[in-house]
Amino acid sequence: MELTINKPTKRNGKRAVIFTVLALTMAAAAYAFLFLKHDPALVNLGERLSPASAEHPLGTDHLGRDVLTRLLLGAQLTVGYGLLALFAAVIFGVPFGLISGFKGGAIDRIFMRVADAFLAFPDTIVAIVLSGLLGPGIENLLLAIVVVKWVNYARLVRSTVITERQKDYVTMAKINGLSSFAIMRKHLFPHIIGNVLVLSSLDLGKIILLISSLSYIGLGAQPPAPEWGAMLNDARPYFQSNQSLMIYPGLAIVCVVFLSNILGDYFRDAFDVKKEVES
Amino acid sequence: MNLLSIRQLHIMGKQNHIVKGLSFDVREGEWLAIVGQSGSGKSMTAMAIGRLLAPNLQAKGEIWYEGKNVLTLSDPAIRRLRGKRLAYIFQDYQSSFTPFLTIGQHFDEYQRTHLALSKQARRRQAVNALASVGLDGEIYSRYPFQLSGGQLQRVSISLALLLKPDVLIADEPTTALDSVSSFKILELLSRLKADTGCAILFITHDLRHVRKYADRIGVMKAGVMIESGDKNQVLNHPEHPYTASLIHASRSLKKSSMKHEGALG
Repeated sequence: MELTINKPTKRNGKRAVIFTVLALTMAAAAYAFLFLKHDPALVNLGERLSPASAEHPLGTDHLGRDVLTRLLLGAQLTVGYGLLALFAAVIFGVPFGLISGFKGGAIDRIFMRVADAFLAFPDTIVAIVLSGLLGPGIENLLLAIVVVKWVNYARLVRSTVITERQKDYVTMAKINGLSSFAIMRKHLFPHIIGNVLVLSSLDLGKIILLISSLSYIGLGAQPPAPEWGAMLNDARPYFQSNQSLMIYPGLAIVCVVFLSNILGDYFRDAFDVKKEVES
Repeated sequence: MNLLSIRQLHIMGKQNHIVKGLSFDVREGEWLAIVGQSGSGKSMTAMAIGRLLAPNLQAKGEIWYEGKNVLTLSDPAIRRLRGKRLAYIFQDYQSSFTPFLTIGQHFDEYQRTHLALSKQARRRQAVNALASVGLDGEIYSRYPFQLSGGQLQRVSISLALLLKPDVLIADEPTTALDSVSSFKILELLSRLKADTGCAILFITHDLRHVRKYADRIGVMKAGVMIESGDKNQVLNHPEHPYTASLIHASRSLKKSSMKHEGALG
């Protein structure tokens, strides 16, 4: 029987492509302001709905704004806000899960009932209700996403901590006279980084989708912000005549979500974590 | 003189009563062996002494150390006791070390918690401690998974004795090792006991480990100490039939293994 451990060349090639595309997207989003000639919000009705040209490589939208400029700045908004929301959810969820898993007992039971309450509702519904209640706007949308997402991190971290805290090295650290905080920080926290990284890279795509879809229905980014979901919404009335206006932001969303999923898969293989993250 | 006095210790889980009214003393500088089969509550007793029981287990009774009942000490007070006065070695050498920290980082953490030493002094002390258990100084920068079981158990002994504790609680430290390594570990423990004068509470299910090194023996069965006393008295004149059967079992094992060796040689 032949035992193949891995095929480094093929995998490395794929990986290189993925990371290059990802790095380019990030760079384009971050440094867009360096090479943009047009104001993304400048209305120029004389040039509305113009086709692709040297001046406007992807044409202009219904208000005469340059589509390429808006797409690139939209990457900043969509991906940037996605990362921000993700970061906030991790920052809030991880300590919650650490304390809950490590302390156990009554604290754990209370924390987990709170988490269950959040988990009982579907993500999108909670996000819609919250941004509806707080009023449309990107800040409220981000808040809604954090509220929806932190639970996953708390639960993931808790399950990892519960298996780890029974091991002798945690007892050894206790015997050493370390405080609970020091044990969590130095002996348990490094264990969960891998899992959290995998889950968060898989989550990034979902969060971007959530931001875009809520912006699409008008609850997220407000015009004239060039958010991709909002751009899709703007382009809707011109679907018959100027399909490209919908195709570009749509493609951009698909690409970024796809990349973040591949990145998540890659991290999952690299860290070799399966069960905890997928459950 | 009694260093540690355990009086009427009960350990209870939600449904089961694990240790039932256990009383014994650990004297200064002695090697006390607690023998019993698995499930007799010996490890639980060891954990209760450092107040390290899992939160779902409850310890009642008295554990006297330096005139104070350990079970009623405040959290900061018990933290000062652990490590510095009371040290542990466990059976599972692999999981006794945090996998992503080097041996040196383990030492460093111990030293920084309890001592005020400069970085160089910490390193020097750690390397000396490793040398005292017969390990090379280069192990300082290794990770736990790079060492063998015997080496890891030596490191945990040197860590445990680093701060010169009064009592070393060794919970089956040789069970997971091969017989040559475990013999070496026992030799090492007895030498270090003589050097540092610390008492050893040695927990084992195997009388053979105790025969040579222990000063006194206590036999536990189903949460009760059924017999205790001087090593020779317990081994040669067991009062309880269970002790006799334990001795018998270890003897027959010894004989058969000797026969086996004879056949080979």
